[in-house]
Amino acid sequence: MNPLAPLFHDIEVMAWPAVINVYFAAAAIPIGFVFAIAFALGKNSSNLLINRLSRGYIYFFRGSPFFIQLFAFYSLVLAFNISTWKPLGLDWFVLHPLFLGPAILGLNTTAYTAEIFYGALLTVPKGEIEAARAYGMTRRQRFWSVTWPHLIRLAWPAYTNEVVFLFQATALVYFTLPVVGDQRDLMNTAEVLFQKDYNVFLHFGVAALYFLVISLAIFYLFSLIYKRLMRHMPQAATMKFNLRRVFG
Amino acid sequence: MLVDWLPQGLKDALGPDIVFWLGYFTNGKHLGWYASVQYTLEAMVLGAAVALVLGLVAAAIRNSGPLPLRWLAAGYINVVRGVPDVLFFLFFPIAFEQGLEWILSTQVCTPATLALNTGQWPPCDAANISFTKDQYLILAGVSLGIVYGAFVANVIAGALRAVPAGQLEAARAYGMSRMQVLVRIHIRQMWVYALPGLSNVWMSIIKATSLLSLLQIMDFVTWAQRLGASNFSKAAGLVHDDWRWRYYLVLLIFYIVVTYISEKVFNVLGARVKRGMALAEQNLT
Repeated sequence: MNPLAPLFHDIEVMAWPAVINVYFAAAAIPIGFVFAIAFALGKNSSNLLINRLSRGYIYFFRGSPFFIQLFAFYSLVLAFNISTWKPLGLDWFVLHPLFLGPAILGLNTTAYTAEIFYGALLTVPKGEIEAARAYGMTRRQRFWSVTWPHLIRLAWPAYTNEVVFLFQATALVYFTLPVVGDQRDLMNTAEVLFQKDYNVFLHFGVAALYFLVISLAIFYLFSLIYKRLMRHMPQAATMKFNLRRVFG
Repeated sequence: MLVDWLPQGLKDALGPDIVFWLGYFTNGKHLGWYASVQYTLEAMVLGAAVALVLGLVAAAIRNSGPLPLRWLAAGYINVVRGVPDVLFFLFFPIAFEQGLEWILSTQVCTPATLALNTGQWPPCDAANISFTKDQYLILAGVSLGIVYGAFVANVIAGALRAVPAGQLEAARAYGMSRMQVLVRIHIRQMWVYALPGLSNVWMSIIKATSLLSLLQIMDFVTWAQRLGASNFSKAAGLVHDDWRWRYYLVLLIFYIVVTYISEKVFNVLGARVKRGMALAEQNLT
């Protein structure tokens, strides 16, 4: 028998679970991105109430572990099951891990992304905004044509890191949420395979390999977007990540 | 129960509701819950200590070791950072246990016992090792340290490179040996650049201690899970239904308080390591 056969078998078995992990991340990222803009602006707002609420939200989610957030929100949603979701006929949807997982991930990544965007927002040169005002631009115009382009370019490398961390956080989802049908993720599959023959190196190794490869793919994809964002710069800035740094 | 020890006068003054809740929150199970915070704090401190030592060693090797070792350090730093912490957290204690069992099996297993064994692991029953709770806690702390050591190494490798070359050249010119330059000048100066990054890693370690319950340690996450589940006793009937989210909320607040205190401590430390250094503020963020 081919000595590598168990390895190939594991790679094959874990291909679909890897898609589940990617789905969790891919569904949570757009939610986080959109809401993060709102919370970053809220943290920068001069309205005391909005400011405090945004700061509180960001501090709450960045200061506590995602693992406990999963527990807390899952049990919170469960507590409303009999009184709210069941009568509305929504329980199959609200309690489904493919909805709840990205929802809680989205809450978490909103806070982290908002902090990154807020940091970038502070560095937008005042002069550019004043110039835009002098041209008679409205608030909306000023944001979308001056602040936002500056913000996203500055925030992109840090945002890339956050996306990779979010992807790795998807490993925690199924430690809390129930598995429906065969929708196991990588960690879950590795555990099931491990229970059969106790070969921790093979099964956890292959799961780790999937996480590593997909993380690298995310870095690569986001560095392409960064290059496009920076295409107007005379010396195209490249993101710090490259393979030579890894093995140099 | 502790409330039984309260004088009757005080009980009357507080009223039955408050006395009930005082009793509820000081019953044996809740006291066990409060006591289990020690495991979390111990894992935090042990993890941070191991991470700092490993990180320093890996960063030093990564920046200026002999070539194969340098690759090894770079591999450690990048592979561990590219893998979810929970995966390594589950992997390391099992792998360590199996490694010990394998070494033991070469000593104690005879061909007869090996033939008897039906399962895959351990090779024979005599080579079975089971750790105690305390040993598991140490293993958990060490695996936290190994994971976050890679992050620390990344921060410190960057900080070592950020120390101005002139400082090191001046030290060499004074006739200091390589080791003296490293310990007296290089590592001393590095802290300024490393501290913001180290603060982030510490926050991650704090949050990662919530994973202890996955290693069968009765930490306060497991306690909260049990205390919060709907509670029914024959004597008192239904004490409460599913209260888990309230207990998890307490955990969340605990973690937020710990990170808040850490933030303040790191601010003080940051101001301390910066004293007497002529640095532009933007270099430190």
